[in-house]
Amino acid sequence: MKRRGRGIASMWYPVGFTVAANPSGAVVKVNEDGTAVVLTGTVETGQGALGVLSQIAAEALGIAPNDIHIVSGDTDTCPMDTGAIASRTTYITGNAIAAAAAEARDTLFEVASQMLGVKTSQLEAKDHKIQVKGFPARSAPIADVALRAHLVNGTPPIGSASWNPPTVPLDPETGQGKPFGTYVYATQIAEIDVDDETGEVEVLRVTASHDCGTAINPMLVEGQIEGGVFMGLGFALQEEILFDKQGRQLNPNLTNYIMPTTLDMPVVESDIVDSYDETGPFGAKAVGEPSLVPTAAAITNAIYDAVGVRITALPATAERVLAAIKAKRAMEQKQIPA
Amino acid sequence: MNVTITVNGEVRSASVPPETTLLVLLREHFLLTGAKTGCDVGDCGACTVIVDGKAVNACLMLAGQADGRTVTTIEGLATREGLHPLQKVFEETGALQCGFCGPGVIMSSKALLDEIPNPTTAEIRNALAGNLCRCTGYQKMIEGVHEAAEMLQSTTTPATLATKTPATPALAALPQR
Repeated sequence: MKRRGRGIASMWYPVGFTVAANPSGAVVKVNEDGTAVVLTGTVETGQGALGVLSQIAAEALGIAPNDIHIVSGDTDTCPMDTGAIASRTTYITGNAIAAAAAEARDTLFEVASQMLGVKTSQLEAKDHKIQVKGFPARSAPIADVALRAHLVNGTPPIGSASWNPPTVPLDPETGQGKPFGTYVYATQIAEIDVDDETGEVEVLRVTASHDCGTAINPMLVEGQIEGGVFMGLGFALQEEILFDKQGRQLNPNLTNYIMPTTLDMPVVESDIVDSYDETGPFGAKAVGEPSLVPTAAAITNAIYDAVGVRITALPATAERVLAAIKAKRAMEQKQIPA
Repeated sequence: MNVTITVNGEVRSASVPPETTLLVLLREHFLLTGAKTGCDVGDCGACTVIVDGKAVNACLMLAGQADGRTVTTIEGLATREGLHPLQKVFEETGALQCGFCGPGVIMSSKALLDEIPNPTTAEIRNALAGNLCRCTGYQKMIEGVHEAAEMLQSTTTPATLATKTPATPALAALPQR
């Protein structure tokens, strides 16, 4: 019969390694019409990184994400970026872009301070305007300020910056130091049914709670969490590369390397923890890889809750789960005194 | 052999070797590269197109089998008035990430909505079970199909009517997923 089980697993994940240089560079240029161009070496792989980076640049400049044109992934024209790896893009490239945008904004503030007759420290960039803090009516459109910077003051608003997570070398004796820029945390709960006659596991629901710092784009964070749970589910129950004795892969096709389909995928409830990290751009950290870390552990804990067996080798296929259930039954029968 | 199909409302012909698949006909002879070559053996669904109202893997159908039939590809969905509701919803809700599976997923969804205008979640999951996606976990796609179904039912504008494939009886001979 089907037995219901629930399992929980938590994780932390390090973001922004510092054992080797891990920099991102960025150039931000504000155009004469108040739009901006961002140059970054990172690449978009579908996760929405360029959207998030546009939002970061736009927030720093007080304009809209649609006003940002990003040039990316071209090492001839763009500054160096360590890469779209290690869940580092929002955190490290985002910091570089925020710093470069702030430098360009400082030039706008110098021009606007003459136009508005106030000190640069009293200015803020918001709603397509450079305005006096606390007196938003006293303002100048960014397009006007930018045009003036280019044509009158002769100070085109261009910022460039790079960011490399601050390093604390590891002590050779104790191994202690600061190996990563920051850390993210998550807990996931899986609710499953295990058929104790076949060993088949069906995941019904996964609730995933993630601390990713400020969620700059919550919709994309959800997308990363849902995709991560899906990959974690495949890792937990289905996906395994098999080799023969000569090292040839036995299951090189998608008919025999089984990954989850819509019929395997449970409902995922994403919960984004309210959080702010001082070291990240506008408080953001990361979400990509961390989203799949706790899933397999939550599912195997749920299997234990449902049928009382510990699965210690993945994937927890029906064969493995059934073998564990049978072994447990055999053990229990042995223990009954004659 | 000569093959003539009605593709996205246009009658087109090509002379192809008999072993040519519908996918090769579309991509290499008609330059409609929206249907993707993924596994090319019918496992992944990235090449899904609609043939006479049914979603099929274009890599598993010979061009000759499609002769005389009506084929709709992803290129046939958008009109001058804008994107098809499925495309619009998928774009706005982040239902696709890398996007390689997208044309296939959208065509499977369209074939479903043409047949069942207001599908249940189980029906959507069934219809998309042959489309593999490595990025998204499918959830936003499933929600997106629900949303597009609502849009299609509430606003039956001329633009959306024009893209609707007329429902035809199921053809038993078609390779179906």
